[in-house]
Amino acid sequence: MEESGAGFRKELVSKLLHLHFKDDKTKVSGDALQLTAELLKVFVVEAAVRSVRQAQAEDLTRVDVDQLEKVLPQLLLDF
Amino acid sequence: MMEEEEGAEEQQRFSYRQRLKAAVHYTVGCLCEEVASDKDMPFSKQTIAAISEVTFRQCENFAKDLEMFARHAKRSTINTEDVKLLARRSNSLLKYITEVNENLAQFNLERKAKKKKKSEDENKDAVEPGEAGVVEIEN
Repeated sequence: MEESGAGFRKELVSKLLHLHFKDDKTKVSGDALQLTAELLKVFVVEAAVRSVRQAQAEDLTRVDVDQLEKVLPQLLLDF
Repeated sequence: MMEEEEGAEEQQRFSYRQRLKAAVHYTVGCLCEEVASDKDMPFSKQTIAAISEVTFRQCENFAKDLEMFARHAKRSTINTEDVKLLARRSNSLLKYITEVNENLAQFNLERKAKKKKKSEDENKDAVEPGEAGVVEIEN
């Protein structure tokens, strides 16, 4: 699978998911792990890109927490 | 004595959680760095930490939802259909994830076919010349 740049490793995603499962018997297929990793990547990139757009709209030269706070509500609604 | 053991276990759980958070923070940092380069706009350290925190929390929601979706379908193994359900709130997100899933399935199919062809080539002596080029894709 071609991976452009950084991303979440399958092993990390697996640990993150298992941390919150209620049932010990719950398992995750390899494909599902890869897809979840991709979903997480989109989540982070969206948060980052939307924050940048907000900073650009406010004519700033750096993205700060204020910009993230403004885009967070819509981001969480979209996921 | 029991309390000490419980305390130690609590500590272990806490530091395991911290290690996972650190791993998430690292990946988030890398991704933000890519976006920053691409858009020529740097992120403050606090922003990256905040995105990392939100992402970690989002994982909890994902995990619980995925477990429930699989359980609802009377399965104990979470599959890609469950993951696609996670992306249902945004049309463009769902479309993108569906595409990624299809590419993934295609890629795995091709990889399986290559592996099979490789083992078939290695058994060339046992196979008739006409059949050497045929690859069967299993469903």
